[in-house]
Formats: sequence, structure tokens, C-alpha cells
Amino acid sequence: MPRAIRGVLIECEPAIKSIIVHLDSANNDIIIEDLDESHLVVKENMVHLLKQKLEDRLKETYRPEEPLADSE
Amino acid sequence: VVDQIRLWQLENERMRTTPGFLFKDFDTYDEYQALSSYAEEIGVLEWKSDKKVMFFVSKYEQLRDFLKSRKSSK
Repeated sequence: MPRAIRGVLIECEPAIKSIIVHLDSANNDIIIEDLDESHLVVKENMVHLLKQKLEDRLKETYRPEEPLADSE
Repeated sequence: VVDQIRLWQLENERMRTTPGFLFKDFDTYDEYQALSSYAEEIGVLEWKSDKKVMFFVSKYEQLRDFLKSRKSSK
């Protein structure tokens, strides 16, 4: 008998996926199944946290642009 | 606020989320194939891998019934 596991399928680019895999590696409490280079299944209750953490990551990435806005 | 919107847009472009169910640990490859093609037929199949013998669906109820009727017909 197959198992049906409740979760959320995430489809994203490999760069985003590797961030998620990295976030999961701390406690292994996010990912249910790593499917392929652009898909994974995560726990439903972790999606909100995941989005928040990704946003933080993206903010870090875009920080270099900020000084430009202040410079003149 | 503009930053927030931009980040939100980025995230939505980069990440698509679909709640549902991952089906795995099939007894036979036949069972996997029958169930995944049925899922595709009724339009709930979101992802599948013949290699991993797993698939993901957005809805579960019809598959459960299909599986039940398959078992009882044997």
C-alpha cells in the first residue's frame, strides 16, 4: 500500500532550492522529500517561515543597491 | 514598502507552492503507473518521477477511492 504524505510542493529555480536545502540542514525540520533540481516537498506549517527566511536572504542579496539611493 | 513589494514579486516569480500529497512506497511499479496515470487523467497530478516511483497531487480523495476499488477488484 503506498503512503500519501501531506505537504506543499515547491517549484523553484535551483538557486532558491539550494537555499532551502541549506536552511533545512540546520534542523532537518523543513523538507519532507527532495524531488529533483527544481522541486521539493516541505511541511505545510513551515512554508510561512520558509518564505520569511527566503525574503531575508533576498534582502541580504539586494543590500548593495541601497547606498546608490542615498548617494545624491 | 517598495522594497517589500519587489521582494514579494521576486519570491512569487521564483517559487510556486502547491498544497497536496506526495505518494510514495508503492508495492509495485504497476500500481505506481496505474495511480499516477489516473491522477493525470483527472487533472490533479502536479509532479511525478518514474525513476523515483513517486508523484505529487493537489487532491487526494479520488485517488483513495480509485485505490480502494482497485484492491477490491483483485
